[in-house]
Amino acid sequence: MTLQHVGKNVPRVDSVRKATGEALFVADIVLPRMLHAKVLRAGIPHGKIRSIDTSKASAMPGVKKVVTGQRCGMLFGTCLWDQPPLAVDKVRHAGEPVAVVLAETENQAAAALKEIAVDYEKLPFVLDPVEAAAPGAPLIHEKNGEYRRVDYSVHPIPGSNVFHHYKLRKGNEQEGFAKADVTVEDEFEFPLSSQAPLEPHGAICRFGADGDLEIWASNQAPFVLRDVLADMFGISASKVRVHIPYLGGGFGGKSDVSIEPMVAYAASFVPGYAVKLALTRGEVISGALIGRGMKGRMRIGAKLDGTFTALKAEMYFADGAYGDTGWPVDTVAGHNCTGPYEFPNAIVDVYGVYTNSPSVGAYRGYGHPEGQFMSSRLIDMLARKLDMTPAEIMRKNFLREGRKNALGQTIKKSNGDLFGCLDVVEKALAEEPLPPNDERYIYGKGIASMMKSPKMAANAASCCHVQVNADGSAFVNLAGIEMGQGVHTVFAQMAAEALELPFEKVRIYFDVDTQFSPWEWQTVASMQTYRGGRAIQDACRALVEKAKETAAKVWNCVPGMIAYKEGVCVHPNTGATLSLGALARGFMAANGLTVGEPLAATGWYRVPEITEPDPETGMGNAAGSWTFGAQGCALRVDRRTGEVKILHFASAFDVGKAVNPAATRGQVTGGVVQGMGAALMEKILFTDEGVAKNVTFPAYKIPRLHDAPEKQTVVLLETPNEEGPWSAKPMAEHPIVAVAPTILNALRDATGVEFTALPVTPERILEALKTRKEDK
Amino acid sequence: MRVLNFTVNGTPRTVHLEEGRVMLASVLRDSLGLTGTKVGCGTGQCGSCTVVMDGKAVTSCTVPAEKAEGTSVLTIESLAEGSVLHPIQQAFVEAGAIQCGFCTPGIVMRLYALFTQNPDADDETIMKELDKHLCRCTGYETIVQAARLAQEKLRAAR
Repeated sequence: MTLQHVGKNVPRVDSVRKATGEALFVADIVLPRMLHAKVLRAGIPHGKIRSIDTSKASAMPGVKKVVTGQRCGMLFGTCLWDQPPLAVDKVRHAGEPVAVVLAETENQAAAALKEIAVDYEKLPFVLDPVEAAAPGAPLIHEKNGEYRRVDYSVHPIPGSNVFHHYKLRKGNEQEGFAKADVTVEDEFEFPLSSQAPLEPHGAICRFGADGDLEIWASNQAPFVLRDVLADMFGISASKVRVHIPYLGGGFGGKSDVSIEPMVAYAASFVPGYAVKLALTRGEVISGALIGRGMKGRMRIGAKLDGTFTALKAEMYFADGAYGDTGWPVDTVAGHNCTGPYEFPNAIVDVYGVYTNSPSVGAYRGYGHPEGQFMSSRLIDMLARKLDMTPAEIMRKNFLREGRKNALGQTIKKSNGDLFGCLDVVEKALAEEPLPPNDERYIYGKGIASMMKSPKMAANAASCCHVQVNADGSAFVNLAGIEMGQGVHTVFAQMAAEALELPFEKVRIYFDVDTQFSPWEWQTVASMQTYRGGRAIQDACRALVEKAKETAAKVWNCVPGMIAYKEGVCVHPNTGATLSLGALARGFMAANGLTVGEPLAATGWYRVPEITEPDPETGMGNAAGSWTFGAQGCALRVDRRTGEVKILHFASAFDVGKAVNPAATRGQVTGGVVQGMGAALMEKILFTDEGVAKNVTFPAYKIPRLHDAPEKQTVVLLETPNEEGPWSAKPMAEHPIVAVAPTILNALRDATGVEFTALPVTPERILEALKTRKEDK
Repeated sequence: MRVLNFTVNGTPRTVHLEEGRVMLASVLRDSLGLTGTKVGCGTGQCGSCTVVMDGKAVTSCTVPAEKAEGTSVLTIESLAEGSVLHPIQQAFVEAGAIQCGFCTPGIVMRLYALFTQNPDADDETIMKELDKHLCRCTGYETIVQAARLAQEKLRAAR
């Protein structure tokens, strides 16, 4: 049957209410008896709290309560329980919350903050992950190694700042490099940066007198949040209810948990009151989760024909003050730093290191941009050494049917077509030859290929509940969070396809509420279309079976002989029909006698047979899916200003099936520009005193319209596969993964300079051009 | 207590301002419940809080409430007529220019001010106005398309 909804550019189901400003974000929500919270942050990166005096602040107008972490014995986490909701006896980064003022208005709370006196004993601090991991570095957590943790996931080195060491041991390092004719090696840096969703984080929390906890939060992971809060307070998960309104972007920065435990802890002191905290932009960068922060070294060995023999990598992640959100990013960076290539030998060590910055968590791409930045730049260097083109080397080593990735998993043809992606990108770039260099501009081209596989808990699943109404319309309920990626629209398209209903007859529940929504692991890793879609298929299949069972009772036949088409059950012999609507509450005869169940069904999907990596080799069936792609760009450098203009950025991804091609293109164009920010503009800077300093716009610079590429080419390949719903595969984070190496490879082409640290700002380009001239 | 008298979306309003610094964005959102105006940065850099004051686009998070005295302010809530979207809003929907939607109301209001004043604004002018906004989702491609489409729709309606 030809597809009716999947593959069509259906307008987004949330766009009208977003165009009118009706869509509610957490900051828009007002509850009765609501107090406003303001947070006092440490202001120093590392120190012991000698005393906190809140007496003056407590007496300020409108102040209901001042909460500190003194005597707080709670730690929260999902796999590593190392963080209190508020600083207790020590602060570990300058943005760490030390006290929360709860007042009738935000202004009153802000005024009272100034009256809190904290006496600190300053301690030496460390921001660089390599320095922090070295012996003799200031110890940020004296109890590293003693915290409760999930043993098979998190591997601390006690007595150091290394709270997680992931090692990958595929093959043999010596043998691999002994077979190499050439090697390339360099050091790389991917700085700390902000996911910078336009909507700052916010949360509203209320404890009832009966001990129930209710929270509204800008969060991508409602069920994780529910369980973390229940665990932290030692209450049953059934007493915690999480509401998620629309999210104004997430990009990982709102996944797992960030500010919510602090808000909930403060709210626990004022039962009956709702406590609302809306972060400022400055707090988003200094006091929530940030991303990346990798320093690494990689070496690649290859034969003269370009065939890889070995890869060796070390990565140190400046994961900030607390480690629970950082360790899985570190592990994934290790799994995937090879990029989409086969290395018979791959030896990788990744260190998650405590540093005195805000905690690092998920950021679009989740470890992949960090590791593949190194391999993609090295391939460019290797090509020059071997006098081959980078594309030739890529094709020589691409993962393909029968080849094994770094984890030892065997790739199937249906996993995707890297060759096709690279062909498309090369062709797109070749269509527009670069102008010759002139007095003002120099030009360059670069390419990189990528792969991304989702990191997830081995038991991660999506669940779906479908219910039919008497008019034949359907409610589809699942807990995928709409944060801009278009998940509700795609869900509706897939449900309409599965039930063979008109698009208008399907409604996706848009407000996720852990009290009503079926369980979902979390909205991360680009898994909603893929895993949520399979759950929708499963639920819809079950629903149609139920409809047939009722119809069979009405017609006194066996369900198996009944056909289902476009919302209607059809008797094969008589041609009699019964619509879903007629069967919605069971079938009621003219005299009122009713048979059959009310029409509702559940479904679920879990990526099968995922396991945690083997503790010794780091290998195993840890990746459940791969999406492959290639990117290339043509750019121009202004010799006088050092400014870079991307003239053309081309991307090709094998998405299996684009459920909504226009929305998919939107993911790519947005991801490319976000990646450009990382390549050329974005880095969180710290003062000499260890305080993040460029925390507001425009000091923290993200791309504006005039920074965007003049032209983007986006091509979506669709290799049929058995895994995704209608073949649709993960596709959301992916466009960011290869952007930085693509641009830096092009900058090498234009300037002759090997940049290995991000961002490559105009100042650095000007500096490098000067040096280059001296060389000549 | 300070009092602010101004017109919002055609209706005269009197708002009592609390002690301390109060910005127009807060008056609109917190006092008048017009939460379509979004605050993304508090420094006038992201443009999410853009409203139209006496015909000009302003970032309401940097306008002290007192400065609105006697002015006429239009917010995103004033554009649609019932359930009929304004052509600019319609253009954003049709162009697929809305992802998370947090930046949308501000951009729509900026274009409303521009096209009201200068219906035939050239491409360069449109780009300059759009450059005052930040969007982290779209990469701007569809926003540019939406702006051009909006201009076409407005011209056709003239």
